Amino acid sequence: MPDQITSTPVVQTKIIGRYKVEVIRDKCIGAASCVAIAPKIFEMDEENIAIVLSQDGEEDDIKLLAAQSCPTAAVIVTDTETGKQVWPPEF
Amino acid sequence: MPPQKCRAKLADKIQLNPKFVQYFFEWVEPVSVIFHAGQYISMQVSDRGERRPYSICSAPENTHGFELLVDISPQGVGSRYLESLAFGQEVSVLGPLGVFTIYDGSEEAGLTFVATGAGIAPFRSMILDQLQTKDGSREISLYWGLREAEHLFWEADFAELADSFPNFHFHPTLSRAPIEWPLCKGRVTDCLTVHSLLPAAGYYLCGNQEMVKEVAELLQTKGVVSNRIHHENFY
Repeated sequence: MPDQITSTPVVQTKIIGRYKVEVIRDKCIGAASCVAIAPKIFEMDEENIAIVLSQDGEEDDIKLLAAQSCPTAAVIVTDTETGKQVWPPEF
Repeated sequence: MPPQKCRAKLADKIQLNPKFVQYFFEWVEPVSVIFHAGQYISMQVSDRGERRPYSICSAPENTHGFELLVDISPQGVGSRYLESLAFGQEVSVLGPLGVFTIYDGSEEAGLTFVATGAGIAPFRSMILDQLQTKDGSREISLYWGLREAEHLFWEADFAELADSFPNFHFHPTLSRAPIEWPLCKGRVTDCLTVHSLLPAAGYYLCGNQEMVKEVAELLQTKGVVSNRIHHENFY
């Protein structure tokens, strides 16, 4: 009788990229550019302020484009590996 | 579907008056882009990567280029960038974006557009599309609020459209109108207050937040249901 084979369950790991986004609520003016560019990441709430739906679903470059499109720089992008703020650029 | 990354080049520009400039771009990559009237593009306006949204003011019939209307008076990063562009210089654009559009098959019995300032941009695209391409027969009214008579532009074009298309009505409104101004004076809300409005029409509002809020409230007091009021804020 062959040795019992034990299989390791396959774990599906979803790669979400390195960038984490955050909306500064007081700076959001409801332009909704972030939603237009990254609708899987952002949505507008009942007060017409952008909120983060999920950190998943879009590539890092789309997250960055969404942040760069905000006319008031209300979307902050942080590189989770380095801890550094990617957008808006810090001086 | 992710936004389309495109390149375009500046083909022409017209200084309409000291406050407003009309820019003409040709698509470079891809060479043709389909958009819906009312949509906008997001243009990279600095080497740092900042972007600004601009409504397309040209008719969607032309897929080889697009036109923008820009209020240059704030002299922000976007208007300074556009002013610095040389003819033929390429720009990086994301788009077309946005859902502030009129869908075919709409049950709205008429279309009423209310704009202040540069908020006229998406409506020019929509009106040209409705009248010249879609050949619609619905009643179309445009209320456009500006402060001074010298800020007006495109008024001859809209007046000509009103002459050519009996279903199109143009109501330019000046808040600081000269004494001899024969049309609406005050704010667009004043003009809308005295005009009879069709509750079954679709109302499209584009301009500063205060105007959008005031007009939406006025329309609801006149019996227009909220799902017939569509708006886009301009900043």
